[in-house]
Amino acid sequence: MQKAIGKRAISSFISLFLLVILVFFLSRLTGDPAALFLPVDASEEMLEAFRERHGLNDPVIVQFFSYLGDLVRGDFGDSLRKARPALDVVLEAFVWTLQLALITMALVTVAAVTLGSIAAFKVGTAFDRFTSMLSLIGASAPDFWIAIVAIVLFSVNLGWVPTSGTGSVWHWILPICVLFIRPFGLILQVVRGSMLSALGSAYVKTARAKGVKNRPIIFVHTLRNAMLPVVTVIGDQAAALLNGAVVVETIFGFPGVGKLMIDSILQRDFNVILAAIMVTALAIFIMNILIDLAYALLDPRIRA
Amino acid sequence: MSYSKFLAGALLASTALVGAAQAQEGGVTVVLSEELDLIDPCMATRSNIGRVVLQNISETLTELDVRGDGGVMPRLATDWEQTDDTTWRFNLREGVTFSDGSAFDAGDVVHSFERTQSDENSCEISRYYEGMGVTMTAVDDSTLEVSTDDPQPIMPLLMSLLTVVPSETGMEFTREPVGTGPYVLSEWNPGQNILLERRDDYWGEMPEVTSGNYVFRSDAAVRAAMVETGEADIAPSISALEATDPDMDKSYPNSETVYLRIDHSVAPFDDKRVREALNLAIDREAFVGTILADGTEPATAIVPPTTIGWNSEVEQWPYDPERAQELLDEAGADGVPVDAEVTLVGRTGNFPNATETYEAIVGMLNEAGFNMQLQMVEVAEHEQYYSKPYVQDRPILVGAQHDNSRGDPVFSMFFKYDSEGRQSGISDERVDDLIDQASAATGDERKALWSELFAYLHDEVISDALLFHMVGFARVGENVEYEPTIATNSQLQLAEIGLK
Repeated sequence: MQKAIGKRAISSFISLFLLVILVFFLSRLTGDPAALFLPVDASEEMLEAFRERHGLNDPVIVQFFSYLGDLVRGDFGDSLRKARPALDVVLEAFVWTLQLALITMALVTVAAVTLGSIAAFKVGTAFDRFTSMLSLIGASAPDFWIAIVAIVLFSVNLGWVPTSGTGSVWHWILPICVLFIRPFGLILQVVRGSMLSALGSAYVKTARAKGVKNRPIIFVHTLRNAMLPVVTVIGDQAAALLNGAVVVETIFGFPGVGKLMIDSILQRDFNVILAAIMVTALAIFIMNILIDLAYALLDPRIRA
Repeated sequence: MSYSKFLAGALLASTALVGAAQAQEGGVTVVLSEELDLIDPCMATRSNIGRVVLQNISETLTELDVRGDGGVMPRLATDWEQTDDTTWRFNLREGVTFSDGSAFDAGDVVHSFERTQSDENSCEISRYYEGMGVTMTAVDDSTLEVSTDDPQPIMPLLMSLLTVVPSETGMEFTREPVGTGPYVLSEWNPGQNILLERRDDYWGEMPEVTSGNYVFRSDAAVRAAMVETGEADIAPSISALEATDPDMDKSYPNSETVYLRIDHSVAPFDDKRVREALNLAIDREAFVGTILADGTEPATAIVPPTTIGWNSEVEQWPYDPERAQELLDEAGADGVPVDAEVTLVGRTGNFPNATETYEAIVGMLNEAGFNMQLQMVEVAEHEQYYSKPYVQDRPILVGAQHDNSRGDPVFSMFFKYDSEGRQSGISDERVDDLIDQASAATGDERKALWSELFAYLHDEVISDALLFHMVGFARVGENVEYEPTIATNSQLQLAEIGLK
């Protein structure tokens, strides 16, 4: 197991390194940050001075090696736009994203696994059909639209929660609810499907024949086996959230890493783009290891 | 934790929430479209930075009267005079202190200016003084002398852009701005909010508003909703689509002008008939109240009508597609490649309904016989088309929006029309000459020269296809009084907000 994780770590760092190279060179092909930072009526001299000050005039390959050199010393460079360390900017935003992703995924997992298992157990009933419909709507709903409608309904008309922003527990409710919907729909489907096939398997029939009650059948026998594909999907969805929920962050004015990344791409704030990519990649890498551990926990065959 | 304690906690949290907007007695919350990257006073000419910093934290020697027609008014300077052709003398207000307690004097102004010229930062306001050879000298604590290479009749107006910082301020960008203004920066939580609080020792009249809390939402619908629910008091910019409540929503000319920039050196636009046809083929009136907001005005100049020298005699191009077609046919018969494919480059999200506006224009132009196609690009790519060196391998029109709320065309004309201007599509000796003359002239002569230039560009050169003077919408909540002005794009003085 340790060996496997070690291997995984090495291959992850290699791919991260390749990604950094790719982003470094590609982003520098796409536009001039000087022209974006300074107003359109800035003179050529001002632009030149800006490029010179930020080392943008050096050959790209020179810029790259100087960036790598700094990186090795733990220096991610300064944000061009904000004139402060890029890593600080990214970590500040990432803390928000991490909290949002963890809370949302915890709620989604509990809700989807519970409802999905019950639906599979009561397959064909009204309850099953209702949850299937719910999950289908969830998996296909456009979050942009839902976010705006939720604000109009719950904040403007009903006045239950604030429209957007941060500041109190109440500010978290709408963003979490909107983020909840899609992964909930998706995971619910997977849980139900996976449970159905597990419930049809020979060992459940054997357990039933022995007279084991329903509840232990779900929670002791089938759920554990049915969880393997579910864990994969949960990991997938959590990774998407860790990359930042751009739409939700933008609409709710939530200071997360997704919006930061989009803004810094638009503004060609290279150091922030790179720092954001490395931080989120590291988080996703750690999460993948946790998922591997979860597999091992669930399935003794993997431990070997 | 006992159940009742938990309940009490929850109750406390919910009351904290309800009072969010009116957290402080007499405070207002302003919701801006994007977070400030910087808060340095020397960047205050950037829209959202100006709305927080300008005249709230940092003040200037003079101030343009945008609510009346007082012209350039005193602020940190009490009066000024031109002592010779190239020298201005400003008498400074005495008894003014910075928020750090230090006294304000002429040395601070000199330092503030030199700081904008430093190569350790990228201060935006330095561009207004470029190439003038400005030297500032502190004659004594309360007298400042400003000399330039050539006569600069608008020096008092230019001083309305120079935000004054104490002479101790370092050259690099500061995140803790200190100014002479009525408010001080008290909190900045990145991504969340910026809080300004009123000073007790301000030199001028004490403003009514005790604090200004700035929050940031990129979606206009959310900004509008926040004022509606009372979470914010003012949203200085919402879109026409959201401006549905006449009690709260106020429109204002936002000093932006939309136009199509033509590169006169690329065929077929090197031919004047083709440029005229372009202007005749666009039905400007058809946009007003439909795709663009009510109150939008067809443009005959690149600056809004409140600018000095505005020429009311210049007539808007009529909508005459038949005549446009004739002109194109004529030019075509003379060998001008009028059927060459032309790309109209527009910037997504440049103004509300930008894409729809350009789509409609392309439709109108094709109707009149042009061969147009639309390319909407994001800001960085747009910049590559808009500024020199131009892309010239094919005919390109650049749709752009230009902002001048400063009352004088000098801030626009060189960049947009001089042969050397970075966004100029023309190279015309008479234009260069008129810009030079007008920039150095004063009073009625200045007005007359600008007027002449506007008419010449519009009627004789047909320099571009001027389209619209835009309007903006602000939503103002029921607890405050605030009237937006032509300067609302660049500043939002808390002192101009009244409480109900």
